[in-house]
Amino acid sequence: MAVPVRTKSRRRQQVEQAALYPLDWLEERSGLVGATKYFLFRKVPGDISWGHTLGSATLTAFLVQTITGVILAMYYRPDPDSAYESIQHLTNEVTLGWLVRGMHRWGASVFIILMFFHMARVFLFGAYKYPRELNWIVGALLLILGMFEGFTGYLLPWDQTAYWATIVGVNLQGTGPFVGPFLVNVLNGGAEIGVDTLARFYAIHMLLLPGAIFALIGLHLWLVIRLGVTSQPWSPEAAGAGEPEGPKPAREGLVRQSRGGGSE
Amino acid sequence: MSVQRRNPQGPPGSAKHFPGKKSPRVLQREAQFKQYKADVQARGKPFYPWAMFHDTVMSLVVVIVIIGLACVWYFTSGENPEDAGWLGPRYAEPADPGTTTFVPRPDWYFYFLFYLLRIFKWPDSVILGTVGIPTLLMIILFALPFLDVRRERRIIRRPVAATALVLTAVSMGVLTYKGAAAEEATAAGEETFDQIMAAQNLPEEARPGLELYFQSGCTGCHTYAGEGSSNLGAPDLTAIGSQQGKDAAYFQRYVANPREFGNEVMPVYQTLGEENLQALAEFLEASKGGG
Repeated sequence: MAVPVRTKSRRRQQVEQAALYPLDWLEERSGLVGATKYFLFRKVPGDISWGHTLGSATLTAFLVQTITGVILAMYYRPDPDSAYESIQHLTNEVTLGWLVRGMHRWGASVFIILMFFHMARVFLFGAYKYPRELNWIVGALLLILGMFEGFTGYLLPWDQTAYWATIVGVNLQGTGPFVGPFLVNVLNGGAEIGVDTLARFYAIHMLLLPGAIFALIGLHLWLVIRLGVTSQPWSPEAAGAGEPEGPKPAREGLVRQSRGGGSE
Repeated sequence: MSVQRRNPQGPPGSAKHFPGKKSPRVLQREAQFKQYKADVQARGKPFYPWAMFHDTVMSLVVVIVIIGLACVWYFTSGENPEDAGWLGPRYAEPADPGTTTFVPRPDWYFYFLFYLLRIFKWPDSVILGTVGIPTLLMIILFALPFLDVRRERRIIRRPVAATALVLTAVSMGVLTYKGAAAEEATAAGEETFDQIMAAQNLPEEARPGLELYFQSGCTGCHTYAGEGSSNLGAPDLTAIGSQQGKDAAYFQRYVANPREFGNEVMPVYQTLGEENLQALAEFLEASKGGG
Protein backbone atom coordinates (compact mmCIF):
# COMPACT_ATOMS: atom_id res chain seq x y z
CA MET A 1 0.00 0.00 0.00
CA ALA A 2 2.74 2.36 0.81
CA VAL A 3 4.89 1.58 -2.20
CA PRO A 4 3.00 3.37 -5.05
CA VAL A 5 2.22 6.27 -2.80
CA ARG A 6 5.81 6.60 -1.83
CA THR A 7 7.01 6.61 -5.45
CA LYS A 8 4.50 9.24 -6.29
CA SER A 9 5.36 11.30 -3.30
CA ARG A 10 9.05 11.07 -3.96
CA ARG A 11 8.45 12.36 -7.43
CA ARG A 12 6.24 15.06 -6.11
CA GLN A 13 8.89 15.94 -3.61
CA GLN A 14 11.41 16.31 -6.39
CA VAL A 15 9.07 18.50 -8.38
CA GLU A 16 8.27 20.58 -5.38
CA GLN A 17 11.91 20.93 -4.54
CA ALA A 18 12.69 22.02 -8.07
CA ALA A 19 9.83 24.48 -8.02
CA LEU A 20 10.72 25.88 -4.64
CA TYR A 21 14.44 26.00 -5.29
CA PRO A 22 14.40 29.58 -6.61
CA LEU A 23 12.40 30.66 -3.56
CA ASP A 24 14.82 28.92 -1.22
CA TRP A 25 17.70 30.49 -3.08
CA LEU A 26 16.10 33.91 -2.68
CA GLU A 27 15.22 33.34 0.94
CA GLU A 28 18.70 32.20 1.84
CA ARG A 29 20.24 35.34 0.38
CA SER A 30 17.67 38.01 1.12
CA GLY A 31 15.12 36.79 3.64
CA LEU A 32 12.46 38.27 1.35
CA VAL A 33 10.31 35.14 1.31
CA GLY A 34 10.09 35.12 5.07
CA ALA A 35 9.35 38.84 5.07
CA THR A 36 6.55 38.39 2.55
CA LYS A 37 5.11 35.51 4.55
CA TYR A 38 5.24 37.64 7.67
CA PHE A 39 3.53 40.50 5.85
CA LEU A 40 0.75 38.29 4.48
CA PHE A 41 0.05 36.14 7.50
CA ARG A 42 0.56 38.67 10.29
CA LYS A 43 -2.48 39.00 12.51
CA VAL A 44 -4.82 41.97 12.32
CA PRO A 45 -7.68 42.71 14.73
CA GLY A 46 -10.73 40.67 13.93
CA ASP A 47 -13.07 43.62 13.76
CA ILE A 48 -11.42 45.90 11.25
CA SER A 49 -13.88 47.53 8.87
CA TRP A 50 -14.17 48.97 5.40
CA GLY A 51 -12.84 52.17 6.91
CA HIS A 52 -9.53 50.39 7.27
CA THR A 53 -9.29 49.90 3.51
CA LEU A 54 -8.89 53.64 2.87
CA GLY A 55 -5.13 53.47 3.33
CA SER A 56 -4.61 50.74 0.76
CA ALA A 57 -7.12 52.50 -1.50
CA THR A 58 -4.94 55.61 -1.32
CA LEU A 59 -1.92 53.50 -2.18
CA THR A 60 -3.78 52.08 -5.16
CA ALA A 61 -4.64 55.58 -6.37
CA PHE A 62 -0.97 56.52 -6.05
CA LEU A 63 0.10 53.46 -8.03
CA VAL A 64 -2.38 54.43 -10.75
CA GLN A 65 -0.70 57.85 -10.79
CA THR A 66 2.73 56.23 -11.05
CA ILE A 67 1.85 53.94 -13.94
CA THR A 68 -0.11 56.51 -15.94
CA GLY A 69 2.54 59.11 -15.12
CA VAL A 70 5.32 56.99 -16.58
CA ILE A 71 3.33 56.54 -19.80
CA LEU A 72 2.56 60.26 -19.96
CA ALA A 73 6.26 61.02 -19.57
CA MET A 74 6.90 59.06 -22.78
CA TYR A 75 4.81 61.51 -24.78
CA TYR A 76 5.08 64.77 -22.88
CA ARG A 77 7.64 67.41 -23.85
CA PRO A 78 8.45 69.81 -21.01
CA ASP A 79 9.18 72.94 -22.95
CA PRO A 80 6.82 75.87 -23.41
CA ASP A 81 6.91 75.68 -27.20
CA SER A 82 5.75 72.10 -27.47
CA ALA A 83 4.18 71.12 -24.14
CA TYR A 84 0.65 72.14 -25.09
CA GLU A 85 0.96 70.50 -28.49
CA SER A 86 2.22 67.25 -26.99
CA ILE A 87 -0.73 67.18 -24.58
CA GLN A 88 -3.16 67.76 -27.45
CA HIS A 89 -1.49 65.06 -29.52
CA LEU A 90 -1.57 62.61 -26.63
CA THR A 91 -5.21 63.30 -25.80
CA ASN A 92 -6.64 63.28 -29.28
CA GLU A 93 -4.42 61.07 -31.42
CA VAL A 94 -2.40 58.53 -29.45
CA THR A 95 -4.25 55.23 -28.98
CA LEU A 96 -5.85 55.30 -25.53
CA GLY A 97 -3.80 58.38 -24.76
CA TRP A 98 -6.98 60.06 -23.56
CA LEU A 99 -7.52 57.25 -21.08
CA VAL A 100 -4.01 57.51 -19.66
CA ARG A 101 -4.19 61.27 -19.33
CA GLY A 102 -7.77 61.19 -18.05
CA MET A 103 -6.86 58.62 -15.42
CA HIS A 104 -3.83 60.67 -14.35
CA ARG A 105 -5.84 63.85 -14.17
CA TRP A 106 -8.81 62.45 -12.29
CA GLY A 107 -6.71 59.98 -10.34
CA ALA A 108 -5.00 63.01 -8.81
CA SER A 109 -8.29 64.24 -7.40
CA VAL A 110 -9.21 60.75 -6.19
CA PHE A 111 -5.79 60.44 -4.56
CA ILE A 112 -6.22 63.73 -2.68
CA ILE A 113 -9.77 62.88 -1.59
CA LEU A 114 -8.70 59.43 -0.37
CA MET A 115 -5.81 60.93 1.60
CA PHE A 116 -8.25 63.22 3.39
CA PHE A 117 -10.73 60.37 4.02
CA HIS A 118 -7.95 58.16 5.30
CA MET A 119 -6.78 60.91 7.60
CA ALA A 120 -10.32 61.55 8.83
CA ARG A 121 -10.73 57.84 9.62
CA VAL A 122 -7.43 57.78 11.52
CA PHE A 123 -8.52 60.85 13.45
CA LEU A 124 -11.97 59.44 14.16
CA PHE A 125 -10.50 56.20 15.48
CA GLY A 126 -7.83 58.00 17.51
CA ALA A 127 -5.34 55.85 15.66
CA TYR A 128 -2.66 58.53 15.89
CA LYS A 129 -2.22 57.97 19.62
CA TYR A 130 0.64 56.15 21.32
CA PRO A 131 2.56 54.39 19.88
CA ARG A 132 1.56 55.56 16.40
CA GLU A 133 2.46 59.26 16.69
CA LEU A 134 5.30 59.00 14.22
CA ASN A 135 3.10 57.40 11.61
CA TRP A 136 0.65 60.29 11.85
CA ILE A 137 3.52 62.68 11.15
CA VAL A 138 4.67 60.62 8.18
CA GLY A 139 1.08 60.64 6.93
CA ALA A 140 0.81 64.41 7.32
CA LEU A 141 4.04 64.79 5.33
CA LEU A 142 2.58 62.55 2.63
CA LEU A 143 -0.52 64.72 2.50
CA ILE A 144 1.54 67.86 1.97
CA LEU A 145 3.80 66.22 -0.63
CA GLY A 146 0.68 64.93 -2.38
CA MET A 147 -0.78 68.42 -2.54
CA PHE A 148 2.52 69.68 -3.96
CA GLU A 149 2.28 66.96 -6.60
CA GLY A 150 -1.09 68.44 -7.50
CA PHE A 151 0.33 71.94 -7.59
CA THR A 152 3.34 71.10 -9.77
CA GLY A 153 1.35 68.83 -12.07
CA TYR A 154 -1.25 71.51 -12.70
CA LEU A 155 1.22 73.64 -14.69
CA LEU A 156 2.38 70.91 -17.05
CA PRO A 157 -0.39 71.10 -19.73
CA TRP A 158 0.82 74.68 -20.20
CA ASP A 159 -2.63 76.07 -20.93
CA GLN A 160 -4.15 79.30 -19.63
CA THR A 161 -5.65 77.69 -16.54
CA ALA A 162 -2.34 76.09 -15.67
CA TYR A 163 -0.26 79.17 -16.36
CA TRP A 164 -2.24 81.72 -14.40
CA ALA A 165 -3.06 79.46 -11.48
CA THR A 166 0.64 78.72 -11.13
CA ILE A 167 1.63 82.38 -11.28
CA VAL A 168 -0.71 83.12 -8.42
CA GLY A 169 0.32 79.99 -6.52
CA VAL A 170 4.02 80.75 -6.79
CA ASN A 171 3.47 84.40 -5.90
CA LEU A 172 1.59 83.33 -2.79
CA GLN A 173 4.53 81.25 -1.68
CA GLY A 174 6.63 84.36 -2.11
CA THR A 175 4.81 86.01 0.77
CA GLY A 176 6.21 83.42 3.17
CA PRO A 177 8.63 84.81 5.75
CA PHE A 178 12.38 84.41 5.11
CA VAL A 179 12.24 81.47 2.70
CA GLY A 180 9.36 82.81 0.58
CA PRO A 181 11.29 84.79 -2.05
CA PHE A 182 13.98 82.10 -2.13
CA LEU A 183 11.34 79.44 -2.79
CA VAL A 184 9.93 81.51 -5.64
CA ASN A 185 13.35 81.72 -7.24
CA VAL A 186 13.89 77.99 -6.93
CA LEU A 187 10.47 77.12 -8.36
CA ASN A 188 10.53 79.62 -11.20
CA GLY A 189 14.18 79.28 -12.07
CA GLY A 190 14.23 83.07 -11.95
CA ALA A 191 12.08 85.94 -10.86
CA GLU A 192 9.23 85.17 -13.26
CA ILE A 193 7.60 82.07 -14.74
CA GLY A 194 9.37 81.17 -17.96
CA VAL A 195 11.16 78.54 -19.96
CA ASP A 196 13.04 77.14 -16.96
CA THR A 197 9.94 77.00 -14.79
CA LEU A 198 8.23 74.26 -16.78
CA ALA A 199 11.31 72.02 -16.75
CA ARG A 200 11.70 72.55 -13.02
CA PHE A 201 8.09 71.78 -12.25
CA TYR A 202 8.36 68.69 -14.45
CA ALA A 203 11.46 67.43 -12.65
CA ILE A 204 9.95 68.13 -9.24
CA HIS A 205 6.66 66.55 -10.25
CA MET A 206 8.02 63.32 -11.67
CA LEU A 207 11.34 62.77 -9.90
CA LEU A 208 11.71 64.59 -6.62
CA LEU A 209 8.23 64.35 -5.13
CA PRO A 210 7.37 60.80 -6.25
CA GLY A 211 10.71 59.60 -4.90
CA ALA A 212 10.04 61.22 -1.55
CA ILE A 213 6.48 59.93 -1.52
CA PHE A 214 7.59 56.38 -2.29
CA ALA A 215 10.15 56.48 0.51
CA LEU A 216 7.62 57.84 2.99
CA ILE A 217 4.98 55.31 1.94
CA GLY A 218 7.56 52.61 2.64
CA LEU A 219 8.15 54.03 6.10
CA HIS A 220 4.40 54.46 6.63
CA LEU A 221 3.72 50.80 5.79
CA TRP A 222 6.66 49.57 7.81
CA LEU A 223 5.30 51.36 10.87
CA VAL A 224 1.83 49.90 10.27
CA ILE A 225 3.30 46.41 10.10
CA ARG A 226 5.54 46.93 13.11
CA LEU A 227 2.93 48.50 15.37
CA GLY A 228 -0.09 46.62 14.08
CA VAL A 229 -3.43 47.76 12.73
CA THR A 230 -5.62 49.59 15.24
CA SER A 231 -8.91 47.97 16.01
CA GLN A 232 -12.12 49.92 16.22
CA PRO A 233 -12.21 52.20 19.26
CA TRP A 234 -15.46 50.66 20.48
CA SER A 235 -14.09 47.17 20.14
CA PRO A 236 -14.54 45.28 23.41
CA GLU A 237 -11.09 43.73 23.36
CA ALA A 238 -8.00 45.24 24.89
CA ALA A 239 -6.89 45.56 21.33
CA GLY A 240 -9.41 48.33 20.97
CA ALA A 241 -11.15 48.99 24.26
CA GLY A 242 -10.55 52.46 25.58
CA GLU A 243 -9.17 52.03 29.08
CA PRO A 244 -9.29 48.60 30.53
CA GLU A 245 -8.72 49.09 34.22
CA GLY A 246 -7.78 46.44 36.68
CA PRO A 247 -8.01 42.80 35.72
CA LYS A 248 -9.86 42.26 32.51
CA PRO A 249 -13.32 40.71 32.74
CA ALA A 250 -13.40 37.07 31.83
CA ARG A 251 -14.07 36.71 28.17
CA GLU A 252 -17.12 34.85 27.02
CA GLY A 253 -15.30 32.46 24.76
CA LEU A 254 -12.09 33.47 23.13
CA VAL A 255 -13.59 33.80 19.68
CA ARG A 256 -15.82 36.78 19.40
CA GLN A 257 -19.19 35.79 18.05
CA SER A 258 -21.72 37.95 16.22
CA ARG A 259 -19.52 40.30 14.18
CA GLY A 260 -17.33 37.56 12.84
CA GLY A 261 -16.62 39.25 9.55
CA GLY A 262 -16.41 42.68 11.04
CA SER A 263 -16.96 43.99 7.59
CA GLU A 264 -19.38 46.69 8.59
CA MET B 1 8.46 43.89 22.54
CA SER B 2 11.58 45.64 23.51
CA VAL B 3 9.78 48.21 25.64
CA GLN B 4 8.57 45.57 28.06
CA ARG B 5 11.43 44.05 30.01
CA ARG B 6 11.31 42.61 33.46
CA ASN B 7 13.14 45.70 34.49
CA PRO B 8 11.97 48.40 32.09
CA GLN B 9 14.71 50.71 33.29
CA GLY B 10 17.50 48.37 32.34
CA PRO B 11 20.27 47.44 34.72
CA PRO B 12 22.23 50.32 36.26
CA GLY B 13 25.04 51.43 34.02
CA SER B 14 23.33 50.26 30.83
CA ALA B 15 22.13 52.66 28.18
CA LYS B 16 18.57 51.94 29.21
CA HIS B 17 19.06 52.93 32.79
CA PHE B 18 17.37 56.17 33.72
CA PRO B 19 17.37 57.22 37.33
CA GLY B 20 13.79 58.47 37.25
CA LYS B 21 10.85 56.11 37.26
CA LYS B 22 8.40 55.93 34.40
CA SER B 23 5.20 57.71 35.20
CA PRO B 24 2.11 55.60 35.83
CA ARG B 25 0.63 56.89 32.61
CA VAL B 26 3.58 55.74 30.55
CA LEU B 27 3.57 52.36 32.28
CA GLN B 28 -0.15 52.07 31.66
CA ARG B 29 0.03 52.79 27.97
CA GLU B 30 2.93 50.42 27.53
CA ALA B 31 0.95 47.72 29.27
CA GLN B 32 -2.07 48.44 27.10
CA PHE B 33 -0.05 48.20 23.94
CA LYS B 34 1.50 44.96 25.08
CA GLN B 35 -1.97 43.65 25.80
CA TYR B 36 -3.12 44.76 22.36
CA LYS B 37 -0.25 42.91 20.70
CA ALA B 38 -0.99 39.77 22.71
CA ASP B 39 -4.72 39.93 21.98
CA VAL B 40 -4.27 40.42 18.27
CA GLN B 41 -1.70 37.64 18.15
CA ALA B 42 -4.04 35.31 20.00
CA ARG B 43 -7.37 36.15 18.46
CA GLY B 44 -6.76 38.29 15.41
CA LYS B 45 -7.23 37.19 11.83
CA PRO B 46 -4.48 36.75 9.25
CA PHE B 47 -4.06 39.72 6.91
CA TYR B 48 -4.20 37.33 3.96
CA PRO B 49 -6.78 36.48 2.77
CA TRP B 50 -9.19 38.17 5.10
CA ALA B 51 -8.17 41.85 5.22
CA MET B 52 -6.56 41.63 1.82
CA PHE B 53 -9.91 40.68 0.30
CA HIS B 54 -11.49 43.89 1.56
CA ASP B 55 -8.48 45.91 0.43
CA THR B 56 -8.65 44.38 -3.04
CA VAL B 57 -12.36 45.07 -3.43
CA MET B 58 -11.86 48.68 -2.34
CA SER B 59 -8.86 49.12 -4.65
CA LEU B 60 -10.86 47.80 -7.59
CA VAL B 61 -13.62 50.29 -6.80
CA VAL B 62 -11.01 53.08 -6.78
CA VAL B 63 -9.58 52.07 -10.14
CA ILE B 64 -13.06 51.75 -11.66
CA VAL B 65 -14.06 55.18 -10.37
CA ILE B 66 -10.89 56.71 -11.86
CA ILE B 67 -11.50 55.04 -15.23
CA GLY B 68 -15.14 56.14 -15.08
CA LEU B 69 -14.19 59.76 -14.43
CA ALA B 70 -11.67 59.65 -17.29
CA CYS B 71 -14.34 58.27 -19.67
CA VAL B 72 -16.98 60.83 -18.69
CA TRP B 73 -14.40 63.62 -18.99
CA TYR B 74 -13.23 62.50 -22.44
CA PHE B 75 -16.47 61.44 -24.10
CA THR B 76 -18.47 64.51 -23.08
CA SER B 77 -15.79 66.97 -24.25
CA GLY B 78 -14.42 67.87 -27.64
CA GLU B 79 -11.04 68.62 -29.18
CA ASN B 80 -11.60 72.34 -28.88
CA PRO B 81 -10.93 74.05 -25.58
CA GLU B 82 -14.45 75.52 -25.79
CA ASP B 83 -16.08 72.10 -25.93
CA ALA B 84 -16.13 71.55 -22.20
CA GLY B 85 -17.85 68.38 -21.11
CA TRP B 86 -19.47 67.58 -17.79
CA LEU B 87 -16.10 67.54 -16.11
CA GLY B 88 -14.52 70.48 -17.89
CA PRO B 89 -12.53 70.88 -21.09
CA ARG B 90 -9.65 68.63 -22.09
CA TYR B 91 -7.41 71.69 -21.91
CA ALA B 92 -7.85 75.43 -21.91
CA GLU B 93 -6.36 77.72 -24.55
CA PRO B 94 -2.57 77.53 -24.77
CA ALA B 95 -0.74 79.55 -22.14
CA ASP B 96 -0.21 83.11 -23.24
CA PRO B 97 1.77 85.36 -20.93
CA GLY B 98 0.60 88.32 -23.04
CA THR B 99 -3.07 88.06 -22.13
CA THR B 100 -3.95 89.31 -18.74
CA THR B 101 -7.68 88.79 -18.88
CA PHE B 102 -7.52 85.30 -17.52
CA VAL B 103 -8.92 84.73 -14.04
CA PRO B 104 -6.48 82.57 -12.11
CA ARG B 105 -8.10 79.56 -10.56
CA PRO B 106 -6.29 76.67 -8.88
CA ASP B 107 -7.31 73.03 -8.88
CA TRP B 108 -10.34 72.34 -6.67
CA TYR B 109 -8.42 71.04 -3.67
CA PHE B 110 -6.77 74.44 -3.29
CA TYR B 111 -10.09 76.28 -3.38
CA PHE B 112 -10.23 76.48 0.39
CA LEU B 113 -6.89 78.32 0.48
CA PHE B 114 -7.96 80.40 -2.51
CA TYR B 115 -11.11 81.46 -0.75
CA LEU B 116 -9.39 81.97 2.59
CA LEU B 117 -7.42 84.73 0.86
CA ARG B 118 -10.60 86.59 -0.02
CA ILE B 119 -11.22 87.13 3.65
CA PHE B 120 -7.98 88.99 4.23
CA LYS B 121 -7.13 92.27 2.60
CA TRP B 122 -3.87 93.48 1.15
CA PRO B 123 -1.63 94.62 2.64
CA ASP B 124 -2.62 94.78 6.31
CA SER B 125 -3.83 91.28 6.95
CA VAL B 126 -3.09 89.28 3.81
CA ILE B 127 -0.12 87.68 5.52
CA LEU B 128 -2.62 86.00 7.86
CA GLY B 129 -4.24 84.27 4.91
CA THR B 130 -1.10 83.37 2.97
CA VAL B 131 1.14 82.46 5.87
CA GLY B 132 -0.45 82.88 9.28
CA ILE B 133 -3.42 80.54 9.21
CA PRO B 134 -1.84 77.85 6.98
CA THR B 135 1.24 77.76 9.21
CA LEU B 136 -0.86 77.51 12.34
CA LEU B 137 -2.95 74.70 10.86
CA MET B 138 0.20 72.90 9.76
CA ILE B 139 1.70 73.09 13.25
CA ILE B 140 -1.52 71.73 14.76
CA LEU B 141 -1.59 68.96 12.16
CA PHE B 142 1.93 67.78 12.93
CA ALA B 143 1.66 68.27 16.67
CA LEU B 144 -1.70 66.55 17.02
CA PRO B 145 -0.44 63.27 18.54
CA PHE B 146 1.38 65.29 21.20
CA LEU B 147 -1.48 67.68 21.90
CA ASP B 148 -3.99 64.88 22.38
CA VAL B 149 -2.35 62.34 24.67
CA ARG B 150 -5.40 60.88 26.37
CA ARG B 151 -5.81 57.15 25.86
CA GLU B 152 -9.50 57.40 25.04
CA ARG B 153 -10.17 56.56 21.41
CA ARG B 154 -13.98 56.54 21.23
CA ILE B 155 -15.02 59.72 19.46
CA ILE B 156 -18.14 60.27 21.59
CA ARG B 157 -15.90 60.49 24.64
CA ARG B 158 -13.55 62.95 22.94
CA PRO B 159 -15.69 66.09 22.77
CA VAL B 160 -12.83 68.40 21.81
CA ALA B 161 -11.60 66.11 19.05
CA ALA B 162 -15.15 65.55 17.79
CA THR B 163 -15.81 69.28 17.67
CA ALA B 164 -12.50 69.91 15.92
CA LEU B 165 -13.26 67.21 13.35
CA VAL B 166 -16.70 68.61 12.58
CA LEU B 167 -15.46 72.20 12.47
CA THR B 168 -12.56 71.30 10.18
CA ALA B 169 -14.75 69.27 7.84
CA VAL B 170 -17.47 71.93 7.69
CA SER B 171 -15.10 74.88 7.22
CA MET B 172 -13.06 73.06 4.56
CA GLY B 173 -16.32 72.12 2.82
CA VAL B 174 -17.74 75.63 2.99
CA LEU B 175 -14.49 77.27 1.86
CA THR B 176 -14.15 74.80 -1.02
CA TYR B 177 -17.73 75.37 -2.07
CA LYS B 178 -17.39 79.13 -1.83
CA GLY B 179 -14.12 79.00 -3.75
CA ALA B 180 -15.87 77.00 -6.47
CA ALA B 181 -18.83 79.34 -6.58
CA ALA B 182 -16.72 82.49 -6.29
CA GLU B 183 -17.84 85.17 -8.64
CA GLU B 184 -15.84 85.35 -11.82
CA ALA B 185 -14.85 88.75 -13.06
CA THR B 186 -17.76 90.23 -14.95
CA ALA B 187 -17.33 90.90 -18.61
CA ALA B 188 -18.10 94.58 -18.85
CA GLY B 189 -19.57 96.32 -21.88
CA GLU B 190 -20.07 99.94 -22.91
CA GLU B 191 -23.08 100.19 -20.65
CA THR B 192 -21.13 99.22 -17.57
CA PHE B 193 -18.43 101.69 -18.50
CA ASP B 194 -20.96 104.51 -18.84
CA GLN B 195 -22.50 103.65 -15.49
CA ILE B 196 -19.15 103.54 -13.76
CA MET B 197 -18.02 106.78 -15.41
CA ALA B 198 -21.11 108.48 -14.00
CA ALA B 199 -21.11 106.85 -10.58
CA GLN B 200 -17.41 107.46 -10.06
CA ASN B 201 -17.54 110.95 -11.50
CA LEU B 202 -14.59 110.13 -13.78
CA PRO B 203 -13.20 112.63 -16.29
CA GLU B 204 -13.32 111.59 -19.95
CA GLU B 205 -9.51 111.13 -19.98
CA ALA B 206 -9.90 108.24 -17.58
CA ARG B 207 -12.08 106.20 -19.92
CA PRO B 208 -9.31 104.36 -21.84
CA GLY B 209 -7.80 103.38 -18.53
CA LEU B 210 -11.15 102.18 -17.23
CA GLU B 211 -11.68 99.97 -20.27
CA LEU B 212 -8.15 98.68 -20.03
CA TYR B 213 -8.73 97.93 -16.38
CA PHE B 214 -11.67 95.71 -17.21
CA GLN B 215 -9.88 94.04 -20.11
CA SER B 216 -6.59 93.29 -18.39
CA GLY B 217 -7.84 90.92 -15.75
CA CYS B 218 -7.68 93.36 -12.84
CA THR B 219 -11.25 92.39 -11.96
CA GLY B 220 -10.05 88.82 -11.43
CA CYS B 221 -8.86 89.95 -8.02
CA HIS B 222 -9.94 93.56 -7.40
CA THR B 223 -13.33 95.07 -6.81
CA TYR B 224 -14.08 98.36 -8.53
CA ALA B 225 -17.33 100.24 -8.02
CA GLY B 226 -18.99 97.00 -6.97
CA GLU B 227 -17.71 95.07 -10.02
CA GLY B 228 -15.22 92.24 -10.02
CA SER B 229 -14.13 89.98 -7.22
CA SER B 230 -11.89 90.17 -4.20
CA ASN B 231 -9.32 87.40 -4.51
CA LEU B 232 -5.95 86.88 -2.91
CA GLY B 233 -6.38 89.81 -0.59
CA ALA B 234 -6.59 92.37 -3.39
CA PRO B 235 -8.04 95.67 -2.15
CA ASP B 236 -11.09 97.50 -3.44
CA LEU B 237 -9.81 100.13 -5.88
CA THR B 238 -12.93 102.28 -6.02
CA ALA B 239 -11.38 105.11 -4.06
CA ILE B 240 -7.70 104.25 -4.42
CA GLY B 241 -6.93 107.64 -6.00
CA SER B 242 -7.95 109.53 -2.88
CA GLN B 243 -5.22 107.92 -0.80
CA GLN B 244 -2.43 110.18 0.35
CA GLY B 245 0.65 110.32 -1.85
CA LYS B 246 -0.66 108.04 -4.58
CA ASP B 247 -0.56 109.75 -7.94
CA ALA B 248 -0.41 108.56 -11.52
CA ALA B 249 3.37 108.12 -11.44
CA TYR B 250 3.08 105.95 -8.36
CA PHE B 251 0.35 103.77 -9.89
CA GLN B 252 2.28 103.34 -13.09
CA ARG B 253 5.35 102.10 -11.27
CA TYR B 254 3.27 99.93 -9.00
CA VAL B 255 1.29 98.14 -11.72
CA ALA B 256 4.39 97.69 -13.85
CA ASN B 257 6.20 95.92 -11.05
CA PRO B 258 4.39 95.33 -7.75
CA ARG B 259 7.53 93.59 -6.39
CA GLU B 260 9.16 96.95 -6.06
CA PHE B 261 6.57 97.77 -3.42
CA GLY B 262 6.88 94.50 -1.58
CA ASN B 263 3.79 93.01 -3.21
CA GLU B 264 4.68 89.43 -4.10
CA VAL B 265 1.16 88.31 -4.99
CA MET B 266 0.03 90.59 -7.80
CA PRO B 267 1.34 89.66 -11.25
CA VAL B 268 3.83 91.93 -12.98
CA TYR B 269 2.12 93.97 -15.71
CA GLN B 270 5.22 95.36 -17.40
CA THR B 271 4.08 93.58 -20.57
CA LEU B 272 1.14 95.98 -21.00
CA GLY B 273 3.50 98.59 -22.36
CA GLU B 274 4.27 102.17 -21.36
CA GLU B 275 1.23 103.72 -23.00
CA ASN B 276 -1.31 101.35 -21.48
CA LEU B 277 0.27 101.60 -18.07
CA GLN B 278 0.02 105.35 -18.27
CA ALA B 279 -3.69 105.17 -19.12
CA LEU B 280 -4.31 102.76 -16.27
CA ALA B 281 -2.43 104.99 -13.86
CA GLU B 282 -4.45 108.05 -14.88
CA PHE B 283 -7.64 106.11 -14.39
CA LEU B 284 -6.59 104.95 -10.95
CA GLU B 285 -5.56 108.44 -9.93
CA ALA B 286 -8.96 109.74 -10.98
CA SER B 287 -10.74 107.08 -8.95
CA LYS B 288 -11.83 108.86 -5.81
CA GLY B 289 -14.95 106.92 -4.98
CA GLY B 290 -17.22 109.37 -6.78
CA GLY B 291 -17.24 111.71 -3.80
